[in-house]
Amino acid sequence: MMAQPVPHQSATDKKRVKVYELQNNDWFDRGTGFCTAAFVPVEGGQKEPKVMVESEDQPDRLLLDTRICKEDGFQKQQDTLIVWTEPGNGVDMALSFQEAEGCALIWKFINNVQQSMTSMGGPDDSLSDDLAMDIPSIQLPPPDLGNLADLEANMRMMSATQTGRDALAKAIVKENYITQLISLLEIAEDLETLPELHRLCNIMKTILLINDNGIIEQAVSDECVLGVVGALEYDPDFPSHKANHRQWLNQQGRYKEVVRIEDEKIRRKIHQTYRLQYLKDVVLARILDDNTFGVLNSMIFFNQVAIVQHLDHDATFLKSLFDIFKDPRESALRKKEAVIFIQQCCAIAKNLQPQARANLYHNLLRHQLLDVIHYGLRSPDVSVRVGATDVLVSMIEHDAQMIRMTVYQQIIRKQPLLTDVLIELLLVEVDLGIKSQISDALRILLDSSPPQPQDGAGRGEPDGTPRQQPAVVDPQQELMLVTFYGSSVKKLFRPLIELERGCEKQVNAVNEDIFGYLTEVLCFYMRQHKHRCKSFIVENQIVQRYVYMLDCKEKHLQLIPIRFFKHLAMLRENFYFKIMRDNDVLRPVLDVLVRTLPRDNLVGSACLDLFTEVVRIPRDPTSHDAHLSDHFVEKYRERLLELTDYKPFADMIKHYEQSQFSMAETYTVESEDERVRRSNIVGSRSHMEHLAMDPAQEEYWNTSDDEDDHSSVKDMEVVPGSTPSGKPLVDYASDEEDEVNDKVESSARHAETENSAEAAPATGSPASNTAAPVTTTPPERISEKRRREQDEDDELDKLVLHKRRNSSASAKSVSSFGSASDGPKKKGLGGSPASRDQTQKKTISIIMGSSLKTAAVGQDPASQDENTPT
Amino acid sequence: MSDLDKWVAQLRACRPIPEADVRELCHKARELLIEEGNVVTVNAPVTICGDIHGQFHDLMELFRVGGDVPDTNYLFMGDFVDRGFYSLESFLLLLCLKVRYPDRMTLIRGNHESRQITTVYGFYDECLRKYGSANVWRYCCDVFDYLALGAIVLGASNTLSPASESSAAQEYADMNLEVEVCNADGVSTFQFPRQSRSLTSSSDPQPRGSPNGSSSTAGHSSPATGNKTGPPGSGASGSSGGSVGNPAGAVLCVHGGLSPLIQTVDAIRLLDRKQEVPHEGAMCDLLWSDPDDIDGWGLSPRGAGFLFGADIVKEFNYKNDLSLIARAHQLVMEGFKEMFDASIVTVWSAPNYCYRCGNVAALLELSEDESGLGVFARSNGDVSRSDGGQEKGRPNGFDTLEGPARRYRVFQAAPQDSRGMPAKKPVADYFL
Repeated sequence: MMAQPVPHQSATDKKRVKVYELQNNDWFDRGTGFCTAAFVPVEGGQKEPKVMVESEDQPDRLLLDTRICKEDGFQKQQDTLIVWTEPGNGVDMALSFQEAEGCALIWKFINNVQQSMTSMGGPDDSLSDDLAMDIPSIQLPPPDLGNLADLEANMRMMSATQTGRDALAKAIVKENYITQLISLLEIAEDLETLPELHRLCNIMKTILLINDNGIIEQAVSDECVLGVVGALEYDPDFPSHKANHRQWLNQQGRYKEVVRIEDEKIRRKIHQTYRLQYLKDVVLARILDDNTFGVLNSMIFFNQVAIVQHLDHDATFLKSLFDIFKDPRESALRKKEAVIFIQQCCAIAKNLQPQARANLYHNLLRHQLLDVIHYGLRSPDVSVRVGATDVLVSMIEHDAQMIRMTVYQQIIRKQPLLTDVLIELLLVEVDLGIKSQISDALRILLDSSPPQPQDGAGRGEPDGTPRQQPAVVDPQQELMLVTFYGSSVKKLFRPLIELERGCEKQVNAVNEDIFGYLTEVLCFYMRQHKHRCKSFIVENQIVQRYVYMLDCKEKHLQLIPIRFFKHLAMLRENFYFKIMRDNDVLRPVLDVLVRTLPRDNLVGSACLDLFTEVVRIPRDPTSHDAHLSDHFVEKYRERLLELTDYKPFADMIKHYEQSQFSMAETYTVESEDERVRRSNIVGSRSHMEHLAMDPAQEEYWNTSDDEDDHSSVKDMEVVPGSTPSGKPLVDYASDEEDEVNDKVESSARHAETENSAEAAPATGSPASNTAAPVTTTPPERISEKRRREQDEDDELDKLVLHKRRNSSASAKSVSSFGSASDGPKKKGLGGSPASRDQTQKKTISIIMGSSLKTAAVGQDPASQDENTPT
Repeated sequence: MSDLDKWVAQLRACRPIPEADVRELCHKARELLIEEGNVVTVNAPVTICGDIHGQFHDLMELFRVGGDVPDTNYLFMGDFVDRGFYSLESFLLLLCLKVRYPDRMTLIRGNHESRQITTVYGFYDECLRKYGSANVWRYCCDVFDYLALGAIVLGASNTLSPASESSAAQEYADMNLEVEVCNADGVSTFQFPRQSRSLTSSSDPQPRGSPNGSSSTAGHSSPATGNKTGPPGSGASGSSGGSVGNPAGAVLCVHGGLSPLIQTVDAIRLLDRKQEVPHEGAMCDLLWSDPDDIDGWGLSPRGAGFLFGADIVKEFNYKNDLSLIARAHQLVMEGFKEMFDASIVTVWSAPNYCYRCGNVAALLELSEDESGLGVFARSNGDVSRSDGGQEKGRPNGFDTLEGPARRYRVFQAAPQDSRGMPAKKPVADYFL
């Protein structure tokens, strides 16, 4: 049958497209042309739905002329790809569109035609122009072992389209089809007919993957669940294996009922939820598509919400639960199970709406949850301690202020403080998980930032990024800090305070973990508590203790003081610079480095990283004290001269010499540093290498000096959705900050004026900083300039990047797995829509090799891989 | 049998080792890894592998195809965990082998070797289920912090030796192959001789991409690449501008790619890598970036790291005396994909990713240069190996160094029956 060229309605109607054909597993390019889809009159006055592509180069030539019929199973993949198998010759074909819009139009037509075909259930010869849109009702034959093969094929075919799936789902639920199939399972098992068992398994898979709530609910019901998973034990993909799902689910005692839940519906929901999880994690784990995964997840979620809400309102239940802890005759086992029950409750509550979660927590607290936590923290059983810590941490993450209030009450009533209990446990605990959670808790509880609305967001930040300093000091907070720095702080840091010279003997495999955690907590307090922490550090010679720790033989312990010193440098406070100078902390680090060299290892890199940071400390022309780096060069110049192969030392000496030079020029209009600074403000990227910052460190730094940075932080928070990681873009404010350092308490006003002056054009993205080469020999100049231009773009990019990050982060917290956030579409098919030709080719290229009929890679969770770390 | 051998045996059977043993193993590994530089120097011969993602049975298949440890020298470019159902067994086995044969195994860090990512993509959950607590996850995460960020392969040969015993060595050498692709049984499926430099004029107006690269349709050369025929995934399109004689330039291996903050390999050595993978900065970029058909740098759709174009790769390679960058991080259906005139290659070693992507996986073998010319006498601790690209006196742009001879072994997912049905471990007891 010769098809005639189809007249186009208009030129704009043309859909530019490439036609591909699969030959020997390679996609063969049949050419580029324009695609149309329409009902085309054929001989006999009838009309046929067709897709045609006429060649771009030779408009008379048809690259493609195919009739849409039921068997070819058109599929849309990605935005610009339609694939199918030609029913006549079984060749796999693909259309790759230039524009998603064109693809969508053609697809709409195809889809409509196909749906109407399915709804007719018969051959498509008598197709009419009206497209039936209602879900047709179909009838399924009563299953028996003889018709399983047909049934399997028909179901698979029907489930290829949405209409087919809807019709199928309706019929399966109406006819209670799952039960009918299950009765066959027993027969087939008795007869040991493996082919039928495999077919049953396939049919059951198809049914579950229809992805219909009603079906899944039925499948996990008490009556059906064992039959359903039983059928799925015979997976034809593993012909020599049989799974043991029934055995697992049937096992008694998996459900632990600490206190009887009277409501039968809720009890059923609990079991159902467990089965859903089992389906998701085990039975269907390998074959789940995104949609079914999402349906399972949301069913689990809604069940859990219902369960927790119910318990929350069941006063008798809660009373019996908490009475367990009040009754001395209760066994330790029952108490343990009660703790774990509460732990699971809180874990589920994390998914609830904030208000519902708040209600639950308040309710639990009213029932003396804190007593339970106290009980749990002191338990000899590690899983009880884990449970209690978990519960505590989820409460703190939800609303730290609530727990702080409790501590405050304890102070007033002169009761033992929760914080002290935590400190005691931290020092003796052997379980790593508990230690790390307690150190988190101690950070958040003593976070002196103002309370935030109860959204829980931004709490529990792993690095405890501090927020703004409160404008008005909260007297309760103040009391807590006073109490803490009165006595608790020494208990907490006792292992550090006790370090003496030759600490070899004091640090051993048992207690070494503690130093890492203590250092993290201490660094956080230094950023947060300012003068209180400063006095603590001075009074207890903390910095000197860290110097002692450098003597440890274990290299991983040496890393701790090196990191700590870097943190000191990053605080950008003259106070700490002075301590570093006075204790000459850089010399022992240099010793460590020299001992390490010429080996290239982690310790060496960490030392070099510290020295790089020291060089980066901005120069403060108003300060009478020598720059930390200059001071170091002055003292150890000879030693450093031998190390100029290493960039930080070369820089140190260079800067030192420059500063000496500028000091000599007594009447110079401006110092080197001022010139640098000024040129920065103008936006020049030259000679700022020593300011080039690792963004992570920079973030650290920018958010560290709250009092100084007050205004700049505020500026940034105008950006919607900005998170603590959304760091200020003002990089160079630090130059000024030095001037006001040490006068921290009174500096807010000062900093404000300075920062606002710098806020706009001088902002440099970290990307731009290092991109500018340091030593600019003449031939390099051009490329440098070019790069500088790129840098401007990078800055923009960075800005956009921030927004993206934030939005995707929030998206992720809302939706779970199936979130279609800005995942890397690239990973799967295609690329950015930026360049059409490339996109097209890439798209096809990646499909190649896999069967066309496998799900589009792009729709796969795999392609959502590596989203933004949130 | 030492503890270590016992652990290896147990893990090879895909059975986790007890928590206390994991702790001990991780401490041993820490001692070892702390002595490695941020960029580990590895001498050819070496077999370079991409993402594994907890597909334990496919990892065993990889060892079958690539040769067992310690007979083969391996370099794994990260992403050992997440996605698959056996992250724990896969990572611990690799770690055990690392501790047992430190010189035969190199592990570098991928973006999934991070606390944040593993809590979302499965490894955390897996540890929790298999041990009932997250402690093993914590031990592993601590080890992640010590993993190197990259590796430099030195002394790779310009010529290939036969893949199997059957062919005569001399005949083979005469073919002067640049790229060979083998199937899982070691049978050569594509061979591409090195093109002499004169054949490929540098003024070639056509984009000189790989056949499966951006500029042509996959799997077969399009007219655009003319006589440059290559197998899917290879850049054997005459683009390496081959010449005679060794040595080939060094090969840099990183998980993701380049960073705008890193101009030289030495700059990587100045980072304190012992930390959680940051959200931005040099360390983040090395683990997150992707090459792309753009000029210069671009925003990454992943939200971390950057996209970088051919110009960036070529300039970096030129400045650092590299002939090739090997990286992983992106699924490629053919298992490997060379881009930008074979200046960078993506190697992917997780077949049928997520148990359903339908892709094949690949290994990249670099053989040892036996002429002795290609061996750089250089210890792990060497720094300043390049001059940072200050002055090369080559006026006409960045000439690419000749790439080493590359053999890709392509393999499929382990046969279904060689493993149980892959699934997550179900939660044992439930209260709610």
